[in-house]
Amino acid sequence: MALPKRIIKETERLMAEPYDYPHVPLTVFGASSDSLSLCISRVSGINAVPHEDNLRYFDVSIHGPAQSPYEGGIFRLELFLPDDYPMTPPKIRFLTKIYHPNIDRLGRICLDVLKNNWSPALQIRTILLSIQALLGAPNPDDPLANDVAQRWKDDEPAAIQTAKEWTRTHAMT
Amino acid sequence: MENVDAYSSPAPPSAEADPVLTDSGSSDASSSEEHMPHHFDVPHLVVRLVQCQHCSRPLHSPLRLPCGNTVCRSCLPPARPRTGITYPVAEGREEGFTCYWEGTNNCVGEHCVGDCGVDVVLCNVLDLFQEELAFPMPDAEAQGQPDSAGRLVRWKVDQTGAKSVEAQNARLSQRGWISGLYLLAWEGRFPCNAMEVVYERSTESAEEQACQQHDRIRFQKLRDRLRAELDCQVCYSLILDPLTTPCGHTFCRKCVARVLDHTDLCPICRRKVGMPATIQSEPLNRTISKIIEYFFADQVASRREADAEDELGGDHETNLPLFVCTLSFPTMPTFLHIFEPRYRLMIRRVVDSGDGKFGMVMYNRRGREQADGLGSTAFMQYGTLLMVQRYELLPDGRSLVIATGVSRFKVLEASELDGYHVARTERVDDISLAEEERLEAMETAASAMPDPTQSATAEHPLDSMSTQDLLDLSRDFIRRQRQTGAPWLHPRVMLAYGPVPIDAARFPWWLASILPIAEEEKYPILSAMSVRERLKISARWTRELEARDW
Repeated sequence: MALPKRIIKETERLMAEPYDYPHVPLTVFGASSDSLSLCISRVSGINAVPHEDNLRYFDVSIHGPAQSPYEGGIFRLELFLPDDYPMTPPKIRFLTKIYHPNIDRLGRICLDVLKNNWSPALQIRTILLSIQALLGAPNPDDPLANDVAQRWKDDEPAAIQTAKEWTRTHAMT
Repeated sequence: MENVDAYSSPAPPSAEADPVLTDSGSSDASSSEEHMPHHFDVPHLVVRLVQCQHCSRPLHSPLRLPCGNTVCRSCLPPARPRTGITYPVAEGREEGFTCYWEGTNNCVGEHCVGDCGVDVVLCNVLDLFQEELAFPMPDAEAQGQPDSAGRLVRWKVDQTGAKSVEAQNARLSQRGWISGLYLLAWEGRFPCNAMEVVYERSTESAEEQACQQHDRIRFQKLRDRLRAELDCQVCYSLILDPLTTPCGHTFCRKCVARVLDHTDLCPICRRKVGMPATIQSEPLNRTISKIIEYFFADQVASRREADAEDELGGDHETNLPLFVCTLSFPTMPTFLHIFEPRYRLMIRRVVDSGDGKFGMVMYNRRGREQADGLGSTAFMQYGTLLMVQRYELLPDGRSLVIATGVSRFKVLEASELDGYHVARTERVDDISLAEEERLEAMETAASAMPDPTQSATAEHPLDSMSTQDLLDLSRDFIRRQRQTGAPWLHPRVMLAYGPVPIDAARFPWWLASILPIAEEEKYPILSAMSVRERLKISARWTRELEARDW
């Protein structure tokens, strides 16, 4: 069945977002979903590219926000738009390992707008920005990864140190 | 009423300079078309789109009323406490007022202040009108030197009360009719009910052309900027049938309905929408409807067309919406409780825009491979085309449906649409009556020879029985079961499915509908292509049941 117009428009807008380095010739990277294009930084630090064979499935990269333990890291995620999107939220999961109290070992994210607080007026872009903001503001009081959250509460500097190390190990290669 | 002409009138215009652009637009339509795009040969209609029906000025801080009309916040009738109302208790619900439109346009007359949110989309639209029409054009070339005296516009107003028609006129200080009239309205000098508006064109052709050019540029720019404000935030397309929530947010009517399938909160502000699931009867936002119709009629038409196609995807043979739930049978009723959001949407589409028909297929619980290259689909290949007989929408958006089986089909190809399945199907019909007779004759003749291996006490092999005997066999079984008071033959059941059919063609469908055996066991009867075959299946069921210990 044809892709809903809304998804087409959202994709177009995501792809039209300016790159951080305007001098990079776009033709080099094209609009393909290869890993290279995900590394290029968009101004917003989020990038989502649909698969060619399934336009509801996106490869996503999010740049760790500045002044956070995740700064400098590029985190990969997968995003899927279910059939009744935008009535139900997109399904999103981190593929890159990340040390964060609201993200578990399987990459699942605890974020209200991805669950009960979803609204059809939200969109892929705003959701990804919310996730980016979550990286900048971990919330150990509403944990998904209990051990990480506990550590965050007990010894925050150490937890942040671990998060930095994980970022270096997993998100900078 | 005072004559609003601020300048002293020059000599009456000559006949040649007389009306060129008129309200009726009929007599002069052809001549004006040469000069202007058809869409604004009546500039005051553009201005009228945003005039408050009460104060005649461009709407300011517009409030949406539950009846679909709009007024300025300052024009809201005086509110008074509402008494005798204890539910629902919410902020802003304790005051109400009597609407100006009482008795017209579906207006019930009394509105609650809390239901009159600021119309957000309209606010943005009004800002654009203001920006594009109220200020002089920055383009110096287009400015030029306006007529020293201003251009004259005349109109008539129906004086309510006096029951007379009063002629009025004004000179516009701006070049261009649209912005001139807009400013006139802004000053409160151009009534929203002006009739027979006459524009006096300049006798100088250069001046006239500059004026038209001016209007054209303004109109185009306004139109271009408006378009961006009129996208629905749910479907990202031009708003179709704009419905405004009590909190003031506007979406397509169908988008609101789809949102309400999932939640009762506004997508934008998350306040309770508080609209009944019967969103179909909610009045549209009249002001926004008119604006969209005026500026983007072509896009509305094409969107409506595309929507109808998207929802139904052509005829039923090619795109039948499927309800994956249970087994239904031709001529028999099926009772459904629709609560899943995707099926709420499907049934609504079927009832609203379709012919009330959809396909019922049962789950493929064991993941059986289906024929025709379908593979292991979520549903079984054979199903029943149902026709909605009764559709009862519950207040919370669920619904109760009674549908009757029309015919059978088999799925040839399936895909999904907004979460539910749609399929290309092929109708399944019985073999012809001649074939039916031939089949019976052949089968009964073949087994007419006594089979020596068969003991006398054994049951008749079904193949050798006449079609009528097969029917009697099952009917006898029903009779015996009734005498023993079998619960599945309770009078209530008979009331729902009707008495035991005498017609051999219908009987198996009736039996299949009520017989207490697993659906998987019943499924083969759907693909049986002759009455005889179905009666044999029925007879087999009854024999098996009778053999069981009840």
